[in-house]
Amino acid sequence: MTRNRSLFALAALVLLALVPAVVTDSYTRHIFIIAFIYGTVAVNWDLSLGLAGLFNFGHLAFFGIGVYTAAILTTALDLSPWLAIPAGGLTAALAALLIALPVARLQGIYVVLVTFAFGQLCMQVVLSQGDLTGGAEGLVRLPYLRIGDYSFIRDFRFGYYYVALGLLTVSVVALLLLARSPFGKSLRAVRDNPDYATARGISVARQRVLVLCASAVFTGIAGGFYAIYLRVASPEVFGFSVATLILSMVLIGGAGSILGPVFAALALTFATEAMAGIRGLEEARFIVVAVAMILVLRIAPAGAIDIFGRLLAPRRKS
Amino acid sequence: MPEPILELKGVTKTFGGLTAVNDVSFTVHRGEVFGVAGPNGSGKSTLFNCITGIPFGPSGGEITFDGKRIDGMAPHRIFRAGLSRTFQKDAEFPDLTARETVALGGHYGAGIGRQALAQATEAALDLVEFEPSRRDMATADLSVYGKKQLMIASALVSKPAILMLDEPASGLTRPEIAALDGLLCQVNAAGVTILIIEHVLGLLLSVSQRLLVLNQGSVLTSGDPREVIRDDRVVEAYLGSAAA
Repeated sequence: MTRNRSLFALAALVLLALVPAVVTDSYTRHIFIIAFIYGTVAVNWDLSLGLAGLFNFGHLAFFGIGVYTAAILTTALDLSPWLAIPAGGLTAALAALLIALPVARLQGIYVVLVTFAFGQLCMQVVLSQGDLTGGAEGLVRLPYLRIGDYSFIRDFRFGYYYVALGLLTVSVVALLLLARSPFGKSLRAVRDNPDYATARGISVARQRVLVLCASAVFTGIAGGFYAIYLRVASPEVFGFSVATLILSMVLIGGAGSILGPVFAALALTFATEAMAGIRGLEEARFIVVAVAMILVLRIAPAGAIDIFGRLLAPRRKS
Repeated sequence: MPEPILELKGVTKTFGGLTAVNDVSFTVHRGEVFGVAGPNGSGKSTLFNCITGIPFGPSGGEITFDGKRIDGMAPHRIFRAGLSRTFQKDAEFPDLTARETVALGGHYGAGIGRQALAQATEAALDLVEFEPSRRDMATADLSVYGKKQLMIASALVSKPAILMLDEPASGLTRPEIAALDGLLCQVNAAGVTILIIEHVLGLLLSVSQRLLVLNQGSVLTSGDPREVIRDDRVVEAYLGSAAA
């Protein structure tokens, strides 16, 4: 990551940390919280899809597994949400290990098919195990996050805002460090030239297993937090609309850039929410996002972050 | 008595009904430069692929490296065992710098720790005379010769026992081929055994101590390079029966 991008990211983090001082209404804070959760999912999808070049189309399954882990643990076992949320990361990583084993040695379209089928399989398991998962209706009335007597929903979701921002920040910092490590470089090597990477001692299959597990950890935690925050676990999290929206965040933001999907998550969450309030665009908003995705990929395959980089570059020279 | 380091016995590779490499046997001795020549489609690169397992191993036969069978071994483990290769086409990691590319080979190929890795990286780049000012450039921006140097440096950083070069002179100009000639002699003088496939016969003759010629997947002849190229069967394989 360039120095400019680091400074820009730091400035954005400071601004986001100051938002609750300015934005005091519950609704806008809610949109921010959802954007932070989607940003966490998107940036971790970027790890496997963008950085490692693995066409993983089952990433939202890890999110869903996190959602249901937290929901089941808090309702069936009465576990504290503070423990149920990280448990979502653990079960998602275990599920990733399960799917990574067959995927590790597959190529191209077969990776897409297997990972996509895995997502659908997870949804069918949730629907068929109604006693535990609530079936099509899901699980509701999950417990709030609280410390002592203080509920995080109070003060216009003040607590939830900072937990969500913290989760996104920790996840992004972890991924930036990972991207700079030899492991991160090996992922780019495997993505760009698997034969050459193998010829330098890198096990392509092993790196794929590791990257899928790593990308599932924060995604599962985000899922757990999502369930506790909304107090509901619904099979819709395995559906197309959420997956398409988050995939568009990765691709519009810039696959492999890490920061791009974060900014795209903020922009697209607010944009789709704004469009939902415009008559005639309620249902068409996803079409708008899809068109935006096609345009960005056509104009700048490296994503919007690359467009901004290019816009800034001539100014620096002059 | 020359010590064998790589031995092939009856190595064969078939693709359906096509036999690309047919019952090839030879031995490479420690410390030598062993050349493999042959016209287009003679099975040279397929033979390299069979030895290194990238992207496929042999259909039959035995490959022994340093006394250990390596046919069937995972390709990344073959590299870690000390058998390192380059590719005919410009292989690169476009997102990584030259230093990062070489360091990857040291980290994953030889398990070199962080402290020693920087030194090993510089030493490998120095050995191939890679320009210091270009070491932090993205590999995508390097010249063809720069990419060849880098590929060799990334192969050498793990201190392999044998370096396998797949047509290293392809795409190079004459002065660059001359520079590569000197470079290979330097690498060999540093104690690295070299197995080289090459179309440019001048380079092969200059660096090889022994030469093997493949034709249609089978060994045509082998021996002293200057005698081998005068063999009528070799001339015929390259230029046709009228020339022989």
